[in-house]
Amino acid sequence: MKTPSKLYFYMIISVLLLISLAVWSLNTGVYDFGGKSAFEVLGKLIQQDPDLSLSDKYVVWDVRTARIIMAILIGSMLAVSGTSLQGLFKNPLATGDLIGLTSGATLLAAVAIVLGGHFQQYLPEAVQFSLVGISAFIGSFLSMLLVYRISTSSGKTNVVMMLLTGVAITAIGFSVTGFLIYISKDEQLRDLTFWNLGSLAAATWTKNIILAIVLVISYSMLLPKGKALNAMMLGEKDAQHLGINVEKLKKQIIIMTALMIGTCVAFSGTIGFVGLIVPYILRLLFKSNYAFILPLSAVCGSILLLTADTFSRSIVQPSELPIGILTALMGGPIFIAILVKSKKSLA
Amino acid sequence: MKKIMLAVSVLAAVYSCKKEQNAKTGTQTEISSETPKSNNKIVTLNGGITEIVAALGHEKEIVGTDVTSTYPGSLKATAKDLGHVRSMTIEPIMAVSPTLILASDKDINPELMGKIKSSGIKTEVFKQEFTVDGTKKLIADVAKAVGNTDYQKLNDKIDADLKQVQPIAKKPKVLFIYARGPMLMVSGKNTPMASLIELAGGENAVSDFEDFKPLTPEAVVKANPDVLFFFTSGLEGAGGNEGALKMPGVSQTNAGKNKKIIAMDGGLVSGFGPRLGEAAVGLNKLLIENTK
Repeated sequence: MKTPSKLYFYMIISVLLLISLAVWSLNTGVYDFGGKSAFEVLGKLIQQDPDLSLSDKYVVWDVRTARIIMAILIGSMLAVSGTSLQGLFKNPLATGDLIGLTSGATLLAAVAIVLGGHFQQYLPEAVQFSLVGISAFIGSFLSMLLVYRISTSSGKTNVVMMLLTGVAITAIGFSVTGFLIYISKDEQLRDLTFWNLGSLAAATWTKNIILAIVLVISYSMLLPKGKALNAMMLGEKDAQHLGINVEKLKKQIIIMTALMIGTCVAFSGTIGFVGLIVPYILRLLFKSNYAFILPLSAVCGSILLLTADTFSRSIVQPSELPIGILTALMGGPIFIAILVKSKKSLA
Repeated sequence: MKKIMLAVSVLAAVYSCKKEQNAKTGTQTEISSETPKSNNKIVTLNGGITEIVAALGHEKEIVGTDVTSTYPGSLKATAKDLGHVRSMTIEPIMAVSPTLILASDKDINPELMGKIKSSGIKTEVFKQEFTVDGTKKLIADVAKAVGNTDYQKLNDKIDADLKQVQPIAKKPKVLFIYARGPMLMVSGKNTPMASLIELAGGENAVSDFEDFKPLTPEAVVKANPDVLFFFTSGLEGAGGNEGALKMPGVSQTNAGKNKKIIAMDGGLVSGFGPRLGEAAVGLNKLLIENTK
């Protein structure tokens, strides 16, 4: 068992890396602040400098900073949800996108958008978002229950069943998206890439506040559970003997991951593989010690997504590369690596 | 050791991107500056609107356009191409520091609209109707937005051009096929193409649905068009006349049997701006040639 001081050391290193990435990201973009760096402009904004032009203010605060914060929040939640699910299912392949939670969320979010479009203009912004957010949460929650019911019996998860249930839910989600593509106009077709490959371009402070609230609620429940998840690896009976309320832990993980994935999908579409890549890399470093990888995945998820998003908006200026392309590019090979590693146990 | 290697590689990656960024920002595109009519810096996000602004003599004030703004060609050198209006994001628009943004209600997406609104830049979103009167109204509206009262001559030109359209005794049924890559769509009612076909003395072959729908062989056979109508770029992408004749169902129609395929420039056909009359006359000529 490693000491907590070691954990703090890695945490501090990761947070410093994240901060330097945020500074780099803030200074990256096509808008020119007339010789000033974006960082200086942000400083002036904080000091409420009256000379600051409205456009400069808007780009720094409402465009770039909002987007950076959104990348940090969503990346973090996607990684933590992946890590928690892997602890619950005791398997490195359990992530929101592979077992169908993301598709379930997308499905209901899309339905809410299509149906909600009719009376959207009469609702305040926060209510609109929460409508879609709540639908997405219900979608991921139902998928989660389905996967858990089908693949887990008497505390043992059948991994093949788990992944196949995910395939089935994804297929249903695909058919609904396909139908939406069919009924949408050519112009709206492009909006659907948002659902299939994700984007953080629509970041606003309203969305960030909602995301932050969800993050605080779920982390206060999940992050202290590292030791409990370590005990879970011994088997549910042994964990019970160690004084862990296994049923309650399972329920909390199910509800909180569904909530996190649902909210993230509602605001940023389908950004895959974050929940797979981050825990995988952390496992290489710390084995399966959840007391370490759970809190660290919260920071490293942010690092990964912020890097990916900054690339996505700077590689093909003035347009953007959908961020899901980048995360899938990284995640695909890792997925194969895990499969090769666990070839024996899956067969 | 592994951990150190990992950390080093991450840092190296970050550092190399930083360098690349610095190299990138060093090259700012030069904008040629002739005397504009006013101090406006305009971003136009629709082909037709771009044409109107240019025809009113404000071409030099346009600093950014969308991908559909192909006319006048001289804009390529002076205005930044901001890409497709559906996948556009706010920062590249802000980067050309516009004082006025002009868009059509038909194609701007609500997310981007929200961002533009909160950016505080003066924005006009015009209602676009694909009719002669709708076009004239759009011209008047755009003129008002750019502070120009001298727009009547544009509307007069449309009328003068439309007078040259010759009536066709037996109205040909025209099917517009929108080909983009492997996707084929046909245009139904209430599309710019249907409207232009009517103006040019033809009849839109599809009358049982609105907007665009994917092309199905049965629908093509049922519509039985006399002429197939494409964008020049779309026809090229579909493999020219040969490719068009091989499309599902086409061989069973009058147009397929008689090999009647016509194509016009996409910006001219769908713009519904100052060249509306020209577009109608051009299509009218093609239809007359192909219905003999």
